[in-house]
Amino acid sequence: MKAVILAAGKSPKLSPFSDTRPSPMLNVAGRCLFDHNLDMLRASGINDVLVVVGHKQEKLIQQIGEHRFHGLSVQFVEQKRQTSIGDAIMQVRDKILPGEYFLLIYGDILTSENIFNKTQQSFHSFKSPVASICLPPSNEMFGNVFLNANMRITRIVEKPKGNEYGNYVLAGVYVLPEAFFDVLSKHKRSMEKAMKEMIDHGLRASMWEDEWLDIVYPWDILTANSILMDSWEQSTIAKTAVLESNVTLSGLVRIDEGAVIKAGAVLEGPCSIGKGCFIGNNTLVRSYTAVGNQCSVGYGVELKNCVVQDHSSIGRLSFIGDSVIGEKVDIGASCVTVNRNIDWKPVTVRQNKKGLDTGKPKLGAFIGDEAVIGAGNMIQPGTVVAPGKTIPARYTVTNR
Amino acid sequence: MCGISGAVGHKDISQDLFEGIRNLEYRGYDSCGVALMNSTKLIVRKNIGGVEEFYQKENVLRHKSHLGIAHTRWATHGKVTRENTHPMLSTDKAFAVVHNGIISNYRELRSKLQKDGVKFVSETDTEVVPHLMQKLFKQTGNVEKAFVKMLGMLEGTYAVVLITKYHPDVIFCARKESPLMLGIGDEVKYVGSDFNAFIEHTKNAVIIEDEEYVVLTRDSYTVKNFITGEEIQKPITKIEWDSETSKKGGYPHYMLKEIYEQPQTILNALEVDEKALDDVVDYMKDRPTYLVGVGTTFYVAKYAKYIFSRLAGRFFPSISSDEFVALSPVDRNSLVLAISQSGETYDTLTALKHAKAKGAKTAAIVNVIGSTLSRMVDRVILQGSGPEICVISTKAALAQMVILTNLAMRLALKTRKMTKKEYNEGIRALKEMPEIIGNVLNERSGFIHRIANNYKNIKHWLYLGRGIYYPVALESALKMKEVAYVHAEGMPGGFLKHGTLAMIDKDIYSVVFMPPPCEKELYQSTLSSVAEIRARSGFVLGIHFDERGKNRDLFSEELILPAVPPLVAPLLQLVLAQLFAYFTATSLKRNVDKPRSLAKSVTVG
Repeated sequence: MKAVILAAGKSPKLSPFSDTRPSPMLNVAGRCLFDHNLDMLRASGINDVLVVVGHKQEKLIQQIGEHRFHGLSVQFVEQKRQTSIGDAIMQVRDKILPGEYFLLIYGDILTSENIFNKTQQSFHSFKSPVASICLPPSNEMFGNVFLNANMRITRIVEKPKGNEYGNYVLAGVYVLPEAFFDVLSKHKRSMEKAMKEMIDHGLRASMWEDEWLDIVYPWDILTANSILMDSWEQSTIAKTAVLESNVTLSGLVRIDEGAVIKAGAVLEGPCSIGKGCFIGNNTLVRSYTAVGNQCSVGYGVELKNCVVQDHSSIGRLSFIGDSVIGEKVDIGASCVTVNRNIDWKPVTVRQNKKGLDTGKPKLGAFIGDEAVIGAGNMIQPGTVVAPGKTIPARYTVTNR
Repeated sequence: MCGISGAVGHKDISQDLFEGIRNLEYRGYDSCGVALMNSTKLIVRKNIGGVEEFYQKENVLRHKSHLGIAHTRWATHGKVTRENTHPMLSTDKAFAVVHNGIISNYRELRSKLQKDGVKFVSETDTEVVPHLMQKLFKQTGNVEKAFVKMLGMLEGTYAVVLITKYHPDVIFCARKESPLMLGIGDEVKYVGSDFNAFIEHTKNAVIIEDEEYVVLTRDSYTVKNFITGEEIQKPITKIEWDSETSKKGGYPHYMLKEIYEQPQTILNALEVDEKALDDVVDYMKDRPTYLVGVGTTFYVAKYAKYIFSRLAGRFFPSISSDEFVALSPVDRNSLVLAISQSGETYDTLTALKHAKAKGAKTAAIVNVIGSTLSRMVDRVILQGSGPEICVISTKAALAQMVILTNLAMRLALKTRKMTKKEYNEGIRALKEMPEIIGNVLNERSGFIHRIANNYKNIKHWLYLGRGIYYPVALESALKMKEVAYVHAEGMPGGFLKHGTLAMIDKDIYSVVFMPPPCEKELYQSTLSSVAEIRARSGFVLGIHFDERGKNRDLFSEELILPAVPPLVAPLLQLVLAQLFAYFTATSLKRNVDKPRSLAKSVTVG
């Protein structure tokens, strides 16, 4: 069976990180999300993968490369204008043979166990189109599904307002027939209407009970990170990694090739340190921290529940907690991401001039790629720093 | 539902056939039979009981053969007897047939054949098939022609598989609306109700569709349409999934599947034989009655105790089967009504033997037809809930509660404690329940899942209910214990303040089963229990029907159900509590369908 991954969308709610990359290109728990999904696809017996790309496609194509990825054949198909999901799916129409079924995957969903396996199994046992369903923490953003006892979907209610529904929701993984393209074009590429028609033809559900996450907002990256780290079963330390004396490790710790951990550092798992990283003396890396490749973390830094993308550096004596740091970010010495309000009220994040209530009592900052934060900055909880932005250093004593 | 299996090969297939039919046992297991070809003679063995039991008892595996068919039956109506067990034979013993489905015009066919002098040995619809084959073969002299002609005469739904001594190397089969599939192995070819019949031997399957028939030999299969006679090229489908998944119908666990089947099992429970109900009511009318069960069914009995008291004004004590002998309350004037899913529960059988020895009348509500319990009692009500595979009882227990409610209403009607109008209203409320449960399952699963996931690490739960909500609390707590291995204690709400309240602190969590607000007194008194716990900073999860109530602030968490008549309110709460236990168990990664320290039917004392 061929798999179709939708990775063209701009994901504006994931800003600042989606401004500079397609969302599947995020590094989480020491791995690119896209690689994680490709691994699971291969493990579920898929050989051919079609990726619909658009927004910042060069990033994806550059990393994965066309043709073969660890035994998978990967082809890219461009969606020129990112208008709708239905339109994205239509881009692969001529790649699917008449009568063929394909596995459709939304690129920004995350599971730690293999949901593709389960969906294909359901397809094989029902021998009819299948939609994977799951129980999310909140129902408002998804298609709410009504089932009968035979796991047939009888109705879908899209994005219901209020808190009336506790239904299973569409999980963004489907097995659909080639005929679905006809249905889509009949309904002017509206996924919602096309799914309604699929229900009339007989659409079965595949229940997913393990963790599931749709990565929508920047703080979802932290949840994704913890879901993946919780699924770890062992520590791995690369042969070429250097651990100096008095380095303390506890819990599950992953240290990649060529990383240098200086004396006195404490690493509390689960945490991961990428390739070629430098972790300075007396650094405290607390649980659920993922440091990307080629990062530098200065002397005495504390990291806690944070995700740092590749090639970033964090200056000495800083604290980064409950935060996401982009690629090639430069954080000066003694910067602190304050991670709670004084009254413990949930942190609000400003996005597109709107304040979003995250519901989280602890949340730090979201710093876009190539931003520069000068030394001595105290960053307010929930701050978003746009990619490439420079924030001047804060001095209490100057020479003027 | 029944299971069909068949095999033809270059080697002995008797072991393959046994494994095939055993793997189909989930489709039903009240009786079983096989027909094997021995050069040109048919060996037929059949009996009531499960597959393994039957094979052992009849020593079936000592017969070797290269061709055979087998059947496992699950009767929803009608008797379980050896005569009614498949395979069915023609009078001349030349044709043997197994069948799944219902031949709707069998009475007509049967009387025609009887006019021709054919003697029928069973009450089944299936038996017309071999007799028709014998007759048509005599006319045509060709088995395939006779088979097609015979299929043309059948109405209804069927998957039918036939072997005959005239073609000792061939299996004939056909389907119309009942499942049938071929398995194409190298040395052996298989046929079955689904791929579980052969998955252990081959992953190559050919799916047979409606109005198709097959001539299957050890080297080939030919598929034709039996209306047009056209030959159809069938592709081989590779089976890439495991058999467990398919048996579960796509559900992650049998327990969830069976919870979702409850709307249907309630409908079935409402359609049980009225005469069987009235026979038991007749016994109850003027006899002291004891309700007996153990584990879940003891709580079902406790539930029934409240129902009989409330609806029929009778007090029927409920006794846990294992304590029955110690209490020994019966004499020749009493009735003992036992409740059991399997009908094989050792403690319950012991209690009933004791009751019988004392001369008491006995009756039972049982799911498995032909079980020991169903055979030993004077009167039996078969609940018709279908096989319950998960060791934790959900759908069978709910069906038993519905049947007992119906029984109480019938008793009340007979003894003039209830008018015909009230009775009809009660039945209507029960009949509306399946749809409401369907909605609750769809619209509440997420809320229950969220709460279960948030509180999965809580070590101690108190389940509280008053009146009829007390047995619901007990049964709900048992679900939690047996599937999630979490301590949960059921207790009457009023009992709390007589000691146990001392335990309440921030580490003990409570679930309170609130009656609908229209049951004013019960509602108020239950509310006072909630207040007692909250006053000691205890956590309370309220399961209630009070969408706009002003008391909602009292609960730390709540699960709200749609407003329903009081008669069915506790049953709806039980469904919610089943899901709560289920999601707690899955969040804790428990082995849901086979929890530790529990067997499906506890047959030891």
